[in-house]
Amino acid sequence: MNKSMAGRSILVVEDEMMVLMTIEGMLEDLGCEDVTVAATVEQALALIAAQSFDVAMLDVNLNGTKSYPVADALAAHAVPFLFSTGYSDVGATNAHKHRPVLSKPFQHEKLGATLTALLAH
Amino acid sequence: MQDVLTKSDEQIVAEGNVDSFRQDLGPFVVAAENTRMPMIFTDANLPGNPLIFANKAFLQLTGYDRDHLLGQPFHFLIARGRDPEALTWADAGFGEDAAAASEDCYHRKDGTEFWAATSISPVRDAADQIVQHFASFVDLTRHKEEQRHSNMLIDELNHRVKNTLATVQSIVRQALQKETNPVAARESIESRLFALSRSHDILAAAIWRGAGLRNIVEAALEPFGLVSGNPERIFIRGGNIDLPPKATLALGIAFHELATNAIKYGALSNEAGSLLIEWTVEPAATGDRIVLYWRESGGPLVEPPLHRGFGSHVIERGLAHELEGSVDLDFAPTGVVVTIDIPAPGSLP
Repeated sequence: MNKSMAGRSILVVEDEMMVLMTIEGMLEDLGCEDVTVAATVEQALALIAAQSFDVAMLDVNLNGTKSYPVADALAAHAVPFLFSTGYSDVGATNAHKHRPVLSKPFQHEKLGATLTALLAH
Repeated sequence: MQDVLTKSDEQIVAEGNVDSFRQDLGPFVVAAENTRMPMIFTDANLPGNPLIFANKAFLQLTGYDRDHLLGQPFHFLIARGRDPEALTWADAGFGEDAAAASEDCYHRKDGTEFWAATSISPVRDAADQIVQHFASFVDLTRHKEEQRHSNMLIDELNHRVKNTLATVQSIVRQALQKETNPVAARESIESRLFALSRSHDILAAAIWRGAGLRNIVEAALEPFGLVSGNPERIFIRGGNIDLPPKATLALGIAFHELATNAIKYGALSNEAGSLLIEWTVEPAATGDRIVLYWRESGGPLVEPPLHRGFGSHVIERGLAHELEGSVDLDFAPTGVVVTIDIPAPGSLP
């Protein structure tokens, strides 16, 4: 099994707890023990300013608010990240168009492969 | 905008035409004046197609005085007056032989905008020359607002459907991990799916604007026959405070988990126990809070669980993570007491 997240730290920005639990379960399967979570743009920005992460996963829509300011902050701190979304078209702003996108519900293998690819860069 | 105090020669001529216009058309002017459909006539022989007639309905729609309006070029009405596309359309309507129709945005005297379906058709004289144009307006303001609201609902629904599927994924995953017995796994999945479904029901009933706290509590307990079947054992006290969709779903799931636990192990697992659910709104420095107590009593002696299960996890994390609330689960020997403290609506994230 893919254990690419062993020893790595990840910031997961997701406002729905049940969805978050799925992500955490999958990350655990990938060997990740260092998961930090945020539910709002403000929480995420504070965490990004305060500590460093190897990689991040960002829900595009946080309770109706677009999370692009978090994407900007992650890019500024050179943290590789992927978007997660419920929409088939992400509508990411031009600055983040090249970022990988995972749609809900999540495919276990696809999450592992995307994170592996992000960490390889 | 043109200065209305210094009228151009064209405007003065156009205003002079109004009287003869009224006299020529006689009863039709009375009909046009009194119909509920906003309408205007413009003079085709003057540059800018100035208005020579505006009926009462049009004055009502736009808020202008007749004196202010007559003599003004048609472009004066268009809200996006500098938008080439809107102006081109208007010009085409006046230039073409056939009638033109379009939806466009106009402004009222007070500066607010309104959308109207507009139809412009030419009026000819005996020599078949276009002398005037007739324009009628159907106010689309309400239609546009409904359209915006329905687009918002569709966006919300798309988001909700995918998040619901991800939630189902979570429920299935947890059940399969925890339950080794397939029947127990199935029951666990089903009961949580029903809880999710009922939370959606109460949201759907409120067209996704949220739900009342009392309705949320009752919807979570109803499937167990707890509200109607046990009036002497279950007490619900508190106002039906309106909560947004997110809080409705999070609390719906939390109450379902608490009720399941009460029936399996707690005060509702025997014939003697009772359950009191009560809440109040309490002021705090950071804004009003809803403080809700779930108190079980009279059930079997409560033993604290050896490890936190999915239910506790869902309640504690769900409310903390999604609502910036706090939850205290107290497994007191005499009965479970749960204290839920969340920001009141208006203070909710």
